[in-house]
This record gives sequence, structure tokens and C-alpha cells, in this order.
Amino acid sequence: MRAALQRLVAVSWRPRVSRLAPRQRCAATGPAPAPRCWSCGSALPAAEGPPLFCPGCRALQPPGPHPDLFRLMACDRSFRVDAQQLQRRFRSLQRTVHPDRFGRRPPEEQYYSEQHSSLINKAYQTLLNPLSRGIYLLELHGMEPAQETDCDADSVFLMEIMDINEKLAESKNDGILEEIDTLIKVKQEELTREVAEAFERDDFQEAKKLLAKMKYFANLKDKLKNKKIPS
Amino acid sequence: MAALRAAGAALLRPGRGAEAATRLGYHKKVVDHYENPRNVGSLDRNAKNVGTGLVGAPACGDVMKLQVEVDENGKIVDARFKTFGCGSAIASSSLATEWVKGKTVDEALKIKNTDIAKELCLPPVKLHCSMLAEDAIKAALADYKLKQDSNKEVSEKKANNA
Repeated sequence: MRAALQRLVAVSWRPRVSRLAPRQRCAATGPAPAPRCWSCGSALPAAEGPPLFCPGCRALQPPGPHPDLFRLMACDRSFRVDAQQLQRRFRSLQRTVHPDRFGRRPPEEQYYSEQHSSLINKAYQTLLNPLSRGIYLLELHGMEPAQETDCDADSVFLMEIMDINEKLAESKNDGILEEIDTLIKVKQEELTREVAEAFERDDFQEAKKLLAKMKYFANLKDKLKNKKIPS
Repeated sequence: MAALRAAGAALLRPGRGAEAATRLGYHKKVVDHYENPRNVGSLDRNAKNVGTGLVGAPACGDVMKLQVEVDENGKIVDARFKTFGCGSAIASSSLATEWVKGKTVDEALKIKNTDIAKELCLPPVKLHCSMLAEDAIKAALADYKLKQDSNKEVSEKKANNA
């Protein structure tokens, strides 16, 4: 039934092209037309996504749709990243595309430069932070991230989180804040290690659980930061 | 009180007040629960007639504790909450403690997140906070029931052995 339907659709969709008629621009079948430079019209190589600059006129091209952040930052698709290498790549890319370098270029190119620069910022922040990196990696592996309507009921863990939250809320001096800061740091490092190990064995369910725990500690870290800032 | 303030610190610098909160998009009912918290605190979790519900929302990292004290007639006579999360989560759990008081366990189980959301005029993006509050109520009541069942078992065993 399904095959028959598919055949029917294919037949009715095939455009009737005569040799004399102009070639259809928007073909329902056949390969997509080669992308072209917005400035000079040259065909752009589409090897691994759109190039940054047109090989013909060197005009900056817009970023492609759905860029892979790991590929963009020249990192292996893995939870383990070399932070220094990531930073070097970030700076090198920004030196190339930052809007400051396109001040005298046409408005369209300036706009593309802004898009690239934002995207690189986003990629850098996402991959630098273990929590966001882990969540992004889960998405790339087709795992659904934690839904808003999910509910955790791990009493032992939640009690620990409650305790730390209460201590933080009641803390009256810097000494206690430092203690809590250290505790959070230790827990985050431990969880990061465990997440790395889970990803290494492709245990995405376990990675998802651990990343959920990391979220609670990330919130605690934020609250602590806010407490330290004199109001 | 301090817990409430600290919990909202990420969104609201202490001292900015209700005006700022409303500007940030919180409904005045939510702000009211934040500024005038009802039933913040703890009950003795080891007491036989206290049920404790502890739930978390993994997507946003909010954590909510809700406790109920039930009398010998099965009526909830006291309730307390502690929530660390956004203003809507705090308001939802605060309202939940207000609503369960005076109800029987079975009546309290009927409280729906949609009722909480409607009462607080929660925007769609915060509906999950009311769901967390409903989960907390159910968890507290389930804990209470479990305690009653295990207490019953213990007293029955004692009666048999006597």
C-alpha cells in the first residue's frame, strides 16, 4: 500500500520538462543547485558545508544552516575537549570574522560577520562548559534532553541539594561561603568525570542522569556567585 | 524567609521589590507569594503523622519540599514548604500548602496543576512549576500513606506476638 502510494506521488510530482522549455529553477527532483556567492555569483564548493569566503572575490559568506558546533570549533565530537585548543580556535576564528574587521565592507557582509561572530561565541560557550557540552552531545546522539515536565524523585540526592541550598541561604559569613564553594566545586568535578566515563562507554542514559544532577549544582553555583556580589 | 529570598536572588536582587518583579513579567499573585510567603519551613519528618514530598525538576534544577501533618481523622492540619527555584515554583508550592490545609488526604490528591496555574495566572513557559507542585503534594501524601501502612504492619505484628 505504502509502496503504491509512493509510486503515485513520484509520478504526479515529476515535472514535465520539454527540451525547449527553460530549465526549472525549483526542481522537485534532482540534486539541489550549487550554492553561489551573493557578491560575485561564482559557484561555491559545497564539500563540507559553505566556505567562509568566496574563492573568487573573497566576500564573507553566510553561515550554513544547523552548523555542527564541534566541527566549527575543530574539535572531535567527544565529551573530552582540550580547553586551551578550544580557546585558541575561538580566538583565531574571531580574528577572522569579527565585525570590527568588516567595518568598511558592504552592509550584507557586515551582517554575515555578525552572524558568524555570534555563532562562534555560542559554540565556544556551549563546548567550554561541561554541562552545556554534555547536553549538546546528547542531542547530537539523538537523545531527548530533560523535559520541563520531568520529575526527579531521587530522595537521597535531592536531600543533599536541599541541604546545601539551606546552608547557602542561611550563611552569614565568607568562611561558610568558601566551604560551600569548595563543596560544589568538588561535586562538579566528580560529576564531570563520571559524565566523561559514561560518554566513553556510549551510556547515554547514564550521561543524561548525571547531567541532570549537574544542573542542580550549576544553579547552586549561580546562587553562590550572586551572594558573593555585594548588592 | 531567608531561604525564599536567596532562592529568588538569581532573578530578583533583594530590595528591588515588587515593582521590578512585575516589570520582569511576574504576575502580582506570584509576587505576593514571594513577598509574603505562607508556610515556609519544616515539619518533623520523623513524626508518624507527617508526610514529606521531595521533588526536583531536572530541566531547570528547581527543588521543592512539601510536608503535611495529618490528624487521626485523616485531615491535613498543617503544611510547610521549602522551594529553591524560580518565583513561579515558589508561588506554586506556597499556594499548594495553603490549599491542602483543611482537606482530607483524598481531597488533597485531587488538586491539579492546572488549578494552581490558573490561580496564579502562570504563563505557558512556567506551567511546569505548577506540575512540580502537584508532584510534591502527591509525593508527600504517598509518603504519609506509606508510613501509616508500615505502622499498621508493626502494630499488627506486635498484637500477633502478644
